[in-house]
Amino acid sequence: MSSPKAPLAGVRIADFTIHAAGPFGTHVLSQLGAECIKIESKTRPDAFRKPHAVYGRMTAATFDQVSANKLSVRLNLKKPEAIDIAKRLVSISDVASESFRPGVLKRLGLSFEELRKAKPDIVMLSLSSCGQYGPDSHFAGYAPLFGAWGGLGAMSGYTDGPPVEMRHVMDHAAGMHAALAVVAALHQRRRTGKAQHIDLAAREISSAMIGDALVQASLGETPERPGNGDLIMAPHGVYETAQEDRWLTLAVRTDAQWIALTRVLGHEEAASDPRFVSVNARAAHRAELDALLGEWLKPCDADIMAAKLQQAGVSAHVSWNMQDVADDAHLRARGSVVEVSATNIPNRPVVGAPARFSKTQDVGIRRLTPELGQDEDYVFGELLGMSSAQRADLETREVIL
Amino acid sequence: MDGIERDKGGNLPLAGCRVIERSRTIASAYAGRLLSVMGAEVVMLEPAAGSPLRSAPPLLRSGESALFAYLAAGKRSLVCDPATESGRAVLDQALADAQVLIDDTPVEQRGASGLAPDDIAARFPALVHVSVLPFGASGPKSGWTGEEINLIHASGEGFLLPNGFSQELFPDRPPLKIYGHFAGYQGGAAAALAALSALWAAPESGGQYVDVSVQDAMLLVGAFALQRLGDGSLEHRATRRFRYGGVFKTKDAFIELLTLEQRQWDGLVKLLGDPDWAKEEALQDSLERSRRGDEINTHIRTWMAEHAADDVVRMAQELGVPVGKYYTPEDVVNGAHENARGLFEHIAMADGREAKVLKAPFQFAETPLRLTGGAPALGEMSQGAAP
Repeated sequence: MSSPKAPLAGVRIADFTIHAAGPFGTHVLSQLGAECIKIESKTRPDAFRKPHAVYGRMTAATFDQVSANKLSVRLNLKKPEAIDIAKRLVSISDVASESFRPGVLKRLGLSFEELRKAKPDIVMLSLSSCGQYGPDSHFAGYAPLFGAWGGLGAMSGYTDGPPVEMRHVMDHAAGMHAALAVVAALHQRRRTGKAQHIDLAAREISSAMIGDALVQASLGETPERPGNGDLIMAPHGVYETAQEDRWLTLAVRTDAQWIALTRVLGHEEAASDPRFVSVNARAAHRAELDALLGEWLKPCDADIMAAKLQQAGVSAHVSWNMQDVADDAHLRARGSVVEVSATNIPNRPVVGAPARFSKTQDVGIRRLTPELGQDEDYVFGELLGMSSAQRADLETREVIL
Repeated sequence: MDGIERDKGGNLPLAGCRVIERSRTIASAYAGRLLSVMGAEVVMLEPAAGSPLRSAPPLLRSGESALFAYLAAGKRSLVCDPATESGRAVLDQALADAQVLIDDTPVEQRGASGLAPDDIAARFPALVHVSVLPFGASGPKSGWTGEEINLIHASGEGFLLPNGFSQELFPDRPPLKIYGHFAGYQGGAAAALAALSALWAAPESGGQYVDVSVQDAMLLVGAFALQRLGDGSLEHRATRRFRYGGVFKTKDAFIELLTLEQRQWDGLVKLLGDPDWAKEEALQDSLERSRRGDEINTHIRTWMAEHAADDVVRMAQELGVPVGKYYTPEDVVNGAHENARGLFEHIAMADGREAKVLKAPFQFAETPLRLTGGAPALGEMSQGAAP
């Protein structure tokens, strides 16, 4: 009863996803203890097995966060026999996840209806850019397009500038929500014994991040794009400090925080300035405040100032680059950043557990990126009971490729 | 109450699950919202003056919070101040029939409210107790306070934004946050996921305490930049950009264009009308194109400025070139695609106007999700409140 293990231990995922959002979602589930079997092939490898010139990566990745913890098997889904094996794999899994263009799985014979025949209570996740149905469902896209279609891109940006391109965090937000939906569907299955098909459109995650602005727009009101400002908090922004490109982020919600801020900065006189005496007064004079704070913070050391302000109860933090994140004692203490290494991988920091559990503590990274087909002895041999001779034959005929 | 059927039973994924939510912050409120729309009964415990989120911007012209209307839709409300004796009794009664508690009370205030994890575990051993705080409940910075703008920068993503066109136009401006509460929403999704994961293990492990941090959740979705650091590259907003493609201004609107594959590039050249500059032999190589990205973008910008967004999108889609229009919120609520997918529920606001509220960020095909109502009136469940 109290044995520490991972919360999702015993859950098995047959994972057909190979790029961005899908693999991220199943990675998060694997961190929580699910056994995730990655189905790839030489002709359809995970994106990280390939160079990615547009991102400046000229070779395959040695370590890939989203493939960590996963098992890898090869199946050439162009061969009918491989489809049969894929279905057998699904029949011994709890979850099947995929991110093909809508319609492709049906053509392959791996649609929800087919998989449900193989496993009557399967939880299937279909993750796509625009969903499984609807007039745009055939649109292909990447994170910046999800941001554009869903409205988050247009709402982000300098007030007088163009929309902002969303990057990997957009894909990964979709993956995080996908992981949540999968666990909810597992609960439903536990209660009802029935199958479920989750249809997650990444562009709708982008819309969910502007749910407030959608309410406004639906009533004919025009949402404001505040940039780094806030509609009520002031001062609120990202300020220059003494060191180049070392910015301080600051947000003042209450009068007490405002008074504390003026004290820390040695400008107590501002606390009694009638323009700034209340939340509403400060919001009305946000531009003046912004200019003042810019002036006051410019000679400061950002790191020392952040610590001082926090000590006084003011929300402040340095705008961190990834080296700061990697070196942070707090994130290390929480296990949110951990160090990994392997024979071909020198020590490197990676993102660890998504949450800390008091009982089912065994969450996080257990193993690194698998070689293509590394786990076929276990998956094809032990789980599916295929003999070495059978597997060799399938390999000769490029069913296992 | 407003007469809307609030029976959360039925066949939804989380039917029968009861969640108690204490939320001053977006992360906690969004966690409850996600669980609620999937069928859990989510009860907000609010102070007598109401949750601070009830007045969180953006506000509608009527003064009602659009953010609260979105985040509290479908939930219930009970007034409870656990720092008082009578409030403690209300809290205990609420927790007695709940499976999950989501709480964002700052660590140092928990003891006085009977919300310390050990105390909760002793009184409610079967309960899944999820703490969600800006920097988590443990570690040297657990006492730090953080708003969205601090948290998106504490996780490394803020420093990397904007990239592309905005950064080219305004290279000297400070980095820029994503609209609204992106980090808070990731914290909320992580908290909901952690809650359901702990609940999944409950038959064997019983209740437990889970510590979620918004900073951690935002870092998790930004993991790729840490991976790049491990590869030897410290990313910066000025250099983290696609070498060509990105945001473009057409005659009438902004569009996004991204070609990562050769066939997409070929389609783009057709879209641009097979211009002479694109015929150069060297540009057939994707690495050379990356090196000469600025030059390529200059050509694309000139062409885009002469065409209307809808025409560009239509032609691009026909040619298999990933292009999308930067939709405004108005475009999204009126979108043919969104409405064909039933993305919104019509919900009456406090002033009687009917708004479209996004139901959920995902769909369950076998048991469609729906919003069972708008934001509840303060304390509608409380003893003595009108039924």
